[in-house]
Amino acid sequence: MIRLIKIEFKKILNNQVFWVLAALYVLIITSTFFGVQTFINDVVKDAGRSAPIPVTKISLYNFPDIWHNLTFLAGFLKMLLGLLVIFFITNEYSYRTLRQNIITGLSRREFLISKLLSIGIISLCATFLLFIIGVILGFMNTEEVTLAMFFGNFEFIAAYFLELTAFMIFALLLGFLTKRAAFAIGLLALYYYIIENWLNYKLPDDWGDFLPLQAVANLIDIPNTQLMKLFGLNFREYIAVLDVVVVSGYSLTFIYLMYLILRKRDM
Amino acid sequence: MSTQVLSIDNLSKHYGKIRAVDELSLEIEQGNIYGILGPNGSGKTTILGVVLDVINPISGSYKWFGNKPTTADRKRIGAILETPNFYPYLSAVKNLEIIADIKGVSYDEITEVLELVGLTKRKNSRFKTYSLGMKQRLAIAAALLGNPEVLILDEPTNGLDPQGIAEIRNLILEIAQKGLTIIMASHLLDEVQKICTHVAVLKQGRTIFTGEVAEVLQSSTIIEVSGPDLNAINSAIEKCDFVENSNIEGETVLASLKEGHDSMALNKYLIQNDVAISSIALKKKSLENYFLELLAESND
Repeated sequence: MIRLIKIEFKKILNNQVFWVLAALYVLIITSTFFGVQTFINDVVKDAGRSAPIPVTKISLYNFPDIWHNLTFLAGFLKMLLGLLVIFFITNEYSYRTLRQNIITGLSRREFLISKLLSIGIISLCATFLLFIIGVILGFMNTEEVTLAMFFGNFEFIAAYFLELTAFMIFALLLGFLTKRAAFAIGLLALYYYIIENWLNYKLPDDWGDFLPLQAVANLIDIPNTQLMKLFGLNFREYIAVLDVVVVSGYSLTFIYLMYLILRKRDM
Repeated sequence: MSTQVLSIDNLSKHYGKIRAVDELSLEIEQGNIYGILGPNGSGKTTILGVVLDVINPISGSYKWFGNKPTTADRKRIGAILETPNFYPYLSAVKNLEIIADIKGVSYDEITEVLELVGLTKRKNSRFKTYSLGMKQRLAIAAALLGNPEVLILDEPTNGLDPQGIAEIRNLILEIAQKGLTIIMASHLLDEVQKICTHVAVLKQGRTIFTGEVAEVLQSSTIIEVSGPDLNAINSAIEKCDFVENSNIEGETVLASLKEGHDSMALNKYLIQNDVAISSIALKKKSLENYFLELLAESND
């Protein structure tokens, strides 16, 4: 496994596209949560002030709610990570290095595992980044932090890791299927933003929740801010086991499909 | 006794209606420099792709080193298929490190193979800045990593200028002296003639000839002699000690000479023996003629 990670690191860490996308991701995430925090917070606080019923002033960045709030918002940026994965895998096709790797003596299984390891590591880094941001903002905005508050809602961090990983596995599958970056990116955007929403709308009741990316999005529901409560909305404040099972099921199926593609298709 | 390196048994691969490889069988033994010769589209790359496990055959099988193929076998083989394929944004050294990691060999060998192909000075340049000749040489360097027992080269001089072609050929001959088995696909007769010990001639996915190159070349110098008395000429020629064999064909006597003798020597010999002739001409039968003949025959 160390050998596979070593190979992947050599392929990835010397690539400019990786650094551009990674830097963009870090920049957007940090600037959103740090720079825009005052703006978002003020809106939320103001909404409480002018409400007809008394609402306690509460920040988005209070422990333990911060984990839910941050992971939910950061989830919108996973598209960038999807692009990263698509570039990696389609490069291997367009440079014909996938074929050369196999000829050189890498097994198809090892190749797939190396890509999944990359995804796992990228997910870990992105989750860790969010954790660090959460710690900083949490301590800045929470007056008294107890251990229970800090670790409360921590399951959202784990769910966030799963969300990113599952999304990137889906992107990897599209990369394998199309072999071309432009096709895969187009397909991912089309499917993610349009097709699934349309299917979700067409399908009866809860069926849409079982669509692959909808299930991924369901992992972390919309946080119940004071604002939401004002409108009488109430979203789920925990991670549902069913969502985890559905998402994991899809991911395993996609991994198997990718293995079949590698096995059956001429290179 | 010679050892079997690669044996292909009844291999077929079709692309739609096109039979890229059609029930092909081939045996390659240790130490052979085996040329797979055929026009473009005759199935050379497809065969190599199949035995390198990147193309799935529809039927037939192949064995490496006498056994069913495994991933581990491929680490004993160094191969380039079609164009050199590397990560364009990585330097030669980084690219070779990835190959070394896959094969599980030490990075120490990298310096050695780069020296052999003459890329030491440019080892830290990115692959995309390389000329075609340098790319081919890097591909050979990559194939040589890990001391493979077999080297597979697919059109190694394709697209190179004459100087580049000469360099690559010398390099291959140099490598061949180390006793490696080399399998080389080419559409250039001249190349196979100059480098290979064995040759399989391919046409539309089938072999139309397999054998030793020397065997083909042995009959390379054929002399046509005609004169008033063909029988007398023939019997005189037969007694000559540098003539392999001779026979009458139509209005001429065809004599094939042993290596190192030419028509002038035969002419001198006939004059010394007082045999009257009206004409003597060299009919060179190179691999090229042979190849064209084979292709023409198989058209019938």
